[in-house]
Amino acid sequence: MEWNIATLEELKDILWRCTACGNCKAAYNYGPPPEFGEICPAGAEFGFEGFMASKGKIAFARGILDGQLEWTDELLDAIYKCTVCAGCQNQCELDHKPFIPEIIEAMRRKAVQDGIGPMPTQKKIAQSMRSYNNPYQGPRRVRTDWTRPFKKAKKPIKDINKEPADILYYVGCTGAFNLPARGVPVATASLFQKLGLDFGILGENEICCGSTAMRIGDAEEFKRVAQSNLETFRMLHEERGVKTIVTSCAGCYRAIKKDYILSSEYDKMMDGIQVVHTVDLLNTLFKEGKLKFTGELPMKVTYHDPCHTGRHLTKFVIDKEGSQLWKGAYVGLNDEDCLYDVPREILRAIPGIELVEMERIRDNSYCCGGGGGVMTGYGDWAAKNASKRIEEGMQTGAEHMVSICPFCHYNLNEGSRRISSEMKLYDLVELLDQVISETDKA
Amino acid sequence: MLAKREDMILDELVSIVGKDNATAAKHIRYAYSYDLSFVKPKLPDYVVMATTVEQIQSIFRLANRDKIPVVPYTAGSNIGGLCIPEHGGILLDLKRMNKIIRIDTESHYAVIEPGVSHAQLAMELYKHNLRWSWPVGPPSASVSSNALCHGIGGMSGRYGLNSEEITSMEVVLPTGELVRVGSCAIQEDSWHSVLPLPQLDGLFKGWLGTSGVVTKMGVRVHPIPPILKVFTVSTRSIEDMTSYMVNLGNYEICDDLTAVSWWLSQVPIPYPYKPKPDAAPEWYCFGATNSWTQKEKEAREEIWQNVLDEEKKKGTSIEYADYPEEALKARTQLPSRIVGSTKNYTKMAGGGISWPGTFTPANKWAPVYNKWKEILIEHNLSPSVRATNYRGVHYGMLRAMIPFNKQSAEETENARHAIVECLKVDLDAGGIPYKPPVDFAAEINKRAHPGYLSLLKQVKKLLDPNDIMNTGKLGF
Ligand SMILES: Cc1cc2nc3c(=O)[nH]c(=O)nc-3n(C[C@H](O)[C@H](O)[C@H](O)COP(=O)(O)OP(=O)(O)OC[C@H]3O[C@@H](n4cnc5c(N)ncnc54)[C@H](O)[C@@H]3O)c2cc1C
Ligand code: SF4
Ligand code: SF4
Repeated sequence: MEWNIATLEELKDILWRCTACGNCKAAYNYGPPPEFGEICPAGAEFGFEGFMASKGKIAFARGILDGQLEWTDELLDAIYKCTVCAGCQNQCELDHKPFIPEIIEAMRRKAVQDGIGPMPTQKKIAQSMRSYNNPYQGPRRVRTDWTRPFKKAKKPIKDINKEPADILYYVGCTGAFNLPARGVPVATASLFQKLGLDFGILGENEICCGSTAMRIGDAEEFKRVAQSNLETFRMLHEERGVKTIVTSCAGCYRAIKKDYILSSEYDKMMDGIQVVHTVDLLNTLFKEGKLKFTGELPMKVTYHDPCHTGRHLTKFVIDKEGSQLWKGAYVGLNDEDCLYDVPREILRAIPGIELVEMERIRDNSYCCGGGGGVMTGYGDWAAKNASKRIEEGMQTGAEHMVSICPFCHYNLNEGSRRISSEMKLYDLVELLDQVISETDKA
Repeated sequence: MLAKREDMILDELVSIVGKDNATAAKHIRYAYSYDLSFVKPKLPDYVVMATTVEQIQSIFRLANRDKIPVVPYTAGSNIGGLCIPEHGGILLDLKRMNKIIRIDTESHYAVIEPGVSHAQLAMELYKHNLRWSWPVGPPSASVSSNALCHGIGGMSGRYGLNSEEITSMEVVLPTGELVRVGSCAIQEDSWHSVLPLPQLDGLFKGWLGTSGVVTKMGVRVHPIPPILKVFTVSTRSIEDMTSYMVNLGNYEICDDLTAVSWWLSQVPIPYPYKPKPDAAPEWYCFGATNSWTQKEKEAREEIWQNVLDEEKKKGTSIEYADYPEEALKARTQLPSRIVGSTKNYTKMAGGGISWPGTFTPANKWAPVYNKWKEILIEHNLSPSVRATNYRGVHYGMLRAMIPFNKQSAEETENARHAIVECLKVDLDAGGIPYKPPVDFAAEINKRAHPGYLSLLKQVKKLLDPNDIMNTGKLGF
């Protein structure tokens, strides 16, 4: 399987498209009313231009390429102090816009290739991937611990290794291994059962999607697991009748949707299989009238857009041939894959829920602070970022925050604890599970 | 073993601003070493982020003691290499001093710290239906830096340069001394005006950070009338356009009266040079007006129609014109991230922009533009030129926005040559460049009256006896 993952050298021409105008440093919309807000967690925390969004990150990339910057621990540290949240990308209008997160990750890939990256704490991830096929150093058998209540209640979840199913619920390592985030797979499976969906899980045979490895620059590890997953998906389609892969994890979703397509075999392997986020699936059922609410949740909430189900799914229109504008011109964007409206529509439909918005939302959402390997590499700072987001949520008068990503789930709850806030982060499925009961089977 | 001198200075800087706010790390210095312009990158020796006035004073006492150059910086988006440290030293990043201290909604002024960006101020002012003369630059750029550099905005046609909107200032001198100019000099909390005291604010405006560091600034802000009407015309020559703009400018009805050559009306500017289609007019002009009532708008329309009729009677090529929509938005929806992120200017070229930006009275626009056109086309660059009236017809701006491919040293040098050539033509016609990089400063000094140069040097010496501020930037 060939992979078309760009090296920093290959991005050289595109790098020179940055003007250093610094627009990427803050979020701003003309309005009226005009909207302004901090957008770069790294810039907000560390301040120097080098940390500031792409103006600084792109300077590093140029310096590394033209030999003016040599690897030092401090440079490495600055490159890894970025949540790859793509907030900066959203502000930029130049031709390298579509490639900004790619440039940051390509620097990390170079660091790993040159034997210096990732950060020491993140090296554990790489080691864990090799030993356990997940970034959490979790033994294989622990992967199914969350399913115990289902077994106990005599509602076992179908093992897709043994039985066919329409849907593969790809759980993801965070939901499976990260104790506080386990509520997400539990609620997802519970909900799927109540809705009578024909789904199964890979259980102990599930391996990491590779997202974390990719984000920290370990392309080799990513390729290894991604290739294995693509082969598994093909097999599941052919031998178990799987037509849909559903994931509740924003990281897995982005990886499968956006990173796996870099494989030369993607079209062949994924032929006949669609990949959706849980909320997409639920939205379809909702629209078909199959998602009926029996309970009520009198709760004022605010919604946090995860980077990986939002900005990261933007599709960019690039004039590759030079027929419209010029070769390589960034022409425009299409954000129809970005899950901005869907989760909000479902949330609003829940009886009793009142949704109030924060200032920075949708494509200008402020990252929870845990992405891009930051949660592992810089746990303290990740939680500090999350506290800022929780504070922003509190300013809306909401009691709780809702999201659709187990990373945000874990990190924002950490952030909340850090400032002793009452605000808790719920995954949307956790709320839905409370207001949909068994009798609502489709 | 004794620490190196450099390390001792870093230690002192750290003791002033804290360890997270001062660095000598190469990669951080590197990020501050370049900007969009043709000016060659140069690294500062230290980068320091100050958060209080006292810290800035301490930094200056240290710099003054050891004769270390200091370069103030807020966003570095000036397009003139102004924050590139000619002689290294301390790069003083002020973006963290970003408090909006006050918005006086009755007397219509705001008091801000240097790091307050256009985007930040726009959001806060809008809450009170107030505005500032927003430039077409990046929303993340600093309001006060813009005003200090004689910035130009969407209300310069009516109120003049943004530097004319400054009401009061607090400044740290290169010696570390704290001074105030304007009403705040007499009463701590009074920021409404620089008059009627002697206008000492001139000691700090237009010096591009070489005479002191402004730590607080009062600026006039204005209400936002609800009705926007933009008058758009085209002509086939700069002469015809000038005639129209001087005529309309007489009536002082426009907040912004600006003309752009065909090449600048394109989004983005063609790079390299592309001939204009014969059928297209060479100049487009928009006059943005804001009115409180329908009747006021109609009165402005009547004036404009009369001017148009008069110009037509003269037999000029003037026509009513549809201004390209995106370009019109760029002029009226400010501040704008689309425009500010340089999309209009450099997207086709690749990373570089510089300009001969000049104050040139309208009667010199035609001879200067016609010569610029020759020079630029010779260098295979588009004559993407803008002409703007300031404050009625008193004076005006003539500027060419020149994109270039920064990846190529040759193309960058080509742009630099062309721009400096253009500048000489303007200087010889009586124009004066603004936000001048060192190349420009040298050309200004060559032509300067000896008495002016001598006075300038004396004032600089008085304010900055050890020449530590932006050393080398003034071209002498
Ligand atoms: C695409 C584009 C379009 C632009 N259009 C316009 C326009 O229409 N009108 C216009 O006026 N400008 C324009 N600019 C230029 C620039 O963006 C503005 O002038 C901007 O406000 C400068 O702010 P800054 O924070 O980037 O200043 P910087 O570049 O950081 O600083 C500018 C100068 O001021 C000095 N300085 C900074 N802070 C202080 C301080 N506190 N005390 C003393 N000196 C200080 C610096 O040393 C430097 O010499 C444009 C720029 C771009 C990239
Ligand atoms: S990444 Fe884009 S927005 Fe940021 S400095 Fe470069 S050109 Fe400007
Ligand atoms: S990806 Fe996010 S954290 Fe990284 S530079 Fe961009 S805005 Fe900052």
